[in-house]
Amino acid sequence: MATAIVRSALSRATIRAAPRTSVAHKRSFSSSAGHDDAYEAAKWEKITYLGIASCTALAVYVLSKGHHHGEDPPAYPYMHIRNKEFPWGPDGLFEVKHNEGH
Amino acid sequence: MIESQRHSYHLVDPSPWPISGSLGALATTVGGVMYMHPFQGGARLLSLGLIFLLYTMFVWWRDVLRESTLEGHHTKVVQLGPRYGSILFIVSEIGGIWPPKGIGVLDPWEIPFLNTPILPSSGAAVTWAHHAILAGKEKRDVYALVATVLLALVFTGFQGMEYYQAPFTISDSIYGSTFFLATGFHGFHVIIGTLFLIICGIRQYLGHLTKEHHVGFEAAAWYWHFVDVVWLFLFVSIYWWGGI
Repeated sequence: MATAIVRSALSRATIRAAPRTSVAHKRSFSSSAGHDDAYEAAKWEKITYLGIASCTALAVYVLSKGHHHGEDPPAYPYMHIRNKEFPWGPDGLFEVKHNEGH
Repeated sequence: MIESQRHSYHLVDPSPWPISGSLGALATTVGGVMYMHPFQGGARLLSLGLIFLLYTMFVWWRDVLRESTLEGHHTKVVQLGPRYGSILFIVSEIGGIWPPKGIGVLDPWEIPFLNTPILPSSGAAVTWAHHAILAGKEKRDVYALVATVLLALVFTGFQGMEYYQAPFTISDSIYGSTFFLATGFHGFHVIIGTLFLIICGIRQYLGHLTKEHHVGFEAAAWYWHFVDVVWLFLFVSIYWWGGI
């Protein structure tokens, strides 16, 4: 019993140690590939910053321009179709509430 | 036990989650129909089903993470399964997009145009994250995922703003129905992709993802690029072409 426990502990220790050595082995083997990924990571990091900067600039431009409200459209028969109430009440979900005092 | 296994496949333990997920889906479907028609208890059954589904998702994925990250069952051969599965799932999601004809009300060159570079930027950030994992830079990877998720949240925020300000609803003409169905479906996928990326960020922070084993992250990145490409189609067909 005791030897079995020691043996299983030993074999488990070797199992645990095995990937570590193989990782170290791989690392020295594929050092150039790791370097490429570091280069690519740095490149895409710069692209991300460039993207964030242009999005921020565009956001400032678009939001500062403000948007013009057109007149209310005529009551076309195909608009504001309400054959029955929504399950949650009379108004559409993202709609200006008409029935606030309902 | 592990020493006696002479193959690299993962024989899963019996699990209650497939049947609990099925029951949750059934309750959600029936409850959803009951909610939309005036049946009593519809909202209650719908909420119950959704809670059941969310609980199943949480515990099932928790089990998968335990099996892969802590118990080491996901060998290279096993990893092929979720890889193919993720790709097939994304391919199955590609449905049709019908450009609408009718009232063009939203100006495509305002918020939608602003949202168009935001998603590709977060796509660039997720590519940065991928190379950071491969280069073994785990801390940079967490930063890259934070950047990805923040851009995703900004996108969703702008979409929410646009929805709230839209002068038409889902029941206003074919255009309104198509607009909210298409962009709503896309928005829902953006939210799923964002949650997926948040989970990846948390797992990276906890040290779950290594340069050799990060299938979950790869699936999230593929999904994110898919959502990104669909937005470009939506912008061109729904906002631009549909608004002419």
